[in-house]
Amino acid sequence: MVDVFTLAPAIALFPLFAFGIALFLGSKMPKGGALAGIAATGGSLVLSLWMVAEIAGGAGPYHEELYTFVGGVEGEGVTLTFGLLIDPLSALMLVIVSLISFLVHVFSLGYMNDEGETGLPRYYAGLGLFTFSMLAFVYSDNLLMAFMFFELVGLCSYLLIGFWFRERAPASAAKKAFLVTRFGDYFFLIGVVAIFATFGTTAFAGEESFVTAAEAVLGGEGEMNTFLGLGNQAWITVLGLLVLGGVIGKSAQFPLHTWLPDAMEGPTPVSALIHAATMVAAGVYLVARMYGFYALSPTALGIIALIGGFTAFVAATMALVKQELKQVLAYSTISQYGYMMLALGGGGYVAGVFHLTTHAVFKALLFLGAGSVIIAMHHNENMWDMGGLKDRMPVTYWTFLAGSLALAGIFPFAGFWSKDEVLYETLLHGLGDSPLLLVGFAFGLLAVILTAFYTIRMVLLTFHGDPRTDVAEDPEPVRWNVKFPLVVLGVLAVVAGALNLGTIKDVIGEENLFLHEWLDGATLDGELGEGGALSAHHYEELLETQAGYEAAEFSALANGAIALVLALVGVAAAWYLYRGTDPEPHMTKLGGVRRVLAHNYYQDEYQVWLATGLALPVARVANKFDQGIIDGFVDAAGTASVVAGERFRRIQTGVVTNYAALLALGLVLLLLVFGLAGGWF
Amino acid sequence: MAVAMEYYLVLSAAVFCIGLFGILVRSNALVFLMSVELMLNAANINLVAFSLAHGNLTGQVFALFLIGLAAAEVAVGIGIILVLNRNFDDIDVRDAVTMRW
Repeated sequence: MVDVFTLAPAIALFPLFAFGIALFLGSKMPKGGALAGIAATGGSLVLSLWMVAEIAGGAGPYHEELYTFVGGVEGEGVTLTFGLLIDPLSALMLVIVSLISFLVHVFSLGYMNDEGETGLPRYYAGLGLFTFSMLAFVYSDNLLMAFMFFELVGLCSYLLIGFWFRERAPASAAKKAFLVTRFGDYFFLIGVVAIFATFGTTAFAGEESFVTAAEAVLGGEGEMNTFLGLGNQAWITVLGLLVLGGVIGKSAQFPLHTWLPDAMEGPTPVSALIHAATMVAAGVYLVARMYGFYALSPTALGIIALIGGFTAFVAATMALVKQELKQVLAYSTISQYGYMMLALGGGGYVAGVFHLTTHAVFKALLFLGAGSVIIAMHHNENMWDMGGLKDRMPVTYWTFLAGSLALAGIFPFAGFWSKDEVLYETLLHGLGDSPLLLVGFAFGLLAVILTAFYTIRMVLLTFHGDPRTDVAEDPEPVRWNVKFPLVVLGVLAVVAGALNLGTIKDVIGEENLFLHEWLDGATLDGELGEGGALSAHHYEELLETQAGYEAAEFSALANGAIALVLALVGVAAAWYLYRGTDPEPHMTKLGGVRRVLAHNYYQDEYQVWLATGLALPVARVANKFDQGIIDGFVDAAGTASVVAGERFRRIQTGVVTNYAALLALGLVLLLLVFGLAGGWF
Repeated sequence: MAVAMEYYLVLSAAVFCIGLFGILVRSNALVFLMSVELMLNAANINLVAFSLAHGNLTGQVFALFLIGLAAAEVAVGIGIILVLNRNFDDIDVRDAVTMRW
């Protein structure tokens, strides 16, 4: 049998081929190149599943350097490479990305092809490139390669959000998404360079990786270069925070979350892809990827947890008052990624990855369900124009409901298990010795109520009651290519929680927490570092020894019960307010508060002010300095020589006698100079 | 009986200055050529004089070379003057000023 790992590069290359085919041949193919994309992502999915099976079957993590594009001189300088790292974490993520991408391709047949959109080859090429970038990002074995594909992911999101670029709003939203995430990426770029300067390598895994090196330095062995006169610990924190800048931009954490709601201008399947598996997930995945590094710095972890908790709460409040279906989902995404950051910052590595997994499933489901509703509603997204769709599109309703209950965190849907684990881990470490985490935990708990409330409000307004418009009375039917992805994801949203039933671990036993066992990777020895440097177990040790995180005793069941009760309170409140055939717009009663929330706390306004009111004048002054003073000097030098040349050329009279006279005079002068200097006189 | 060295040098300097004067003040190209010829021969006188004084024949051989050089120079010069005459119907050096600034 062939060694399956030698096929690993193909996971990302399939979608790259699909990109080329769709771009150049898409217009000649049936379905505008969709079939190539479906085949490619399907192939990636099969290969990814094979990798998972192989690792589960006991094969060690796979690490290979594919291509060295800058080779360092022996022992000097740095070596830049492209490489593959397939370990439990990246294998899991590969499956998620290729699965969601596959389903999104199928769904696009219904959303784009059947709706008669133009520019389909461009669309499918974009999807292919997007999937390629994300898959390559996921299996990167070093930070620089990760950064390159991180940027490529940003570019693809720009291309796809601005798919309908002839209209004003999508073009502007695409630009915003690109610029805001770029802003975060500047810090990431500096971080990458700084890590190179500090450790001389950016490898994620192995004996030579910067993670192991940092750990060794803090353990008292080895050395690293620090800058700005900072100590080792402080410098590692600075490095972690620099990279975190990119994460905050991509994963839409406060205050760089503003691009994500605008990104709803893109086609709905693209939103599903961005929110569930690719763009936004990239940030959180990066933190998980180099978790061994973050675990060394309690400060960085604390900041991650606080940003995450705060974002989870703030985004949930904004979702309360939105009227468009996709806007509610957008803010819920920001909020849920806040939870993941809270988990990672709170020392819950497994919990964060678990929530990333379940969220990918149910958020893709919700977006595809929303897409189905939007097809039915002839691209009207206002929930107040819907209502009563429950009986008219049952498949969409039931799957959407499964996704919503998962999002709201209702037992036994997937979201309940993962969200509960996030909160539980944060609480444990918060009660242990890190009271700061309790603040994040409190934000998280509040967000549970709000999440349940806005989710159920969304479901009730969309599907329940009486139809409020003629279109809702007689919605357009959707075909199999819409229903198939919904059903697949709907089933997963119900059962995915079984991966890690942390809440009832006292009942079923620790060894049946599959995801925990999986990420613990008992097989992770050998080439990639002693004792499994990438395993969850190792991270827990690091958290305890380096970050001082101690786990307190607290009943998992009790925490689960609290979270569930809070979620049910939210559900009940929404049900009470929006039940019945003709719900009232209760949120208008909030008055000024509603206005602030609907304007997203004026985040956009102040950021635009920062750009036009602050950055623009500074840029003007800089421009004036550049044009006037720096260019001025250069221009003056040029003008001086031009004028001087203009004068001097007059000595070229063209009369031979003058030249002879000059020659003679020159000779005489020369003689005089020699004479005076040589002391002849 | 040998003539003192100074006389040769004064003669040479005088001839050279006459040649230089001719170049600086005349405008006739033919006179130019003659003046250049004078300057070259002033140099020849010097060479021969020093050769005699030092009892070394090298200077006289050099003088022979210089005479050859002067002949070649005249050949080229006459050619230029002919072209000058053909283009301007005159051999006044002040006419040919098209190549100036």
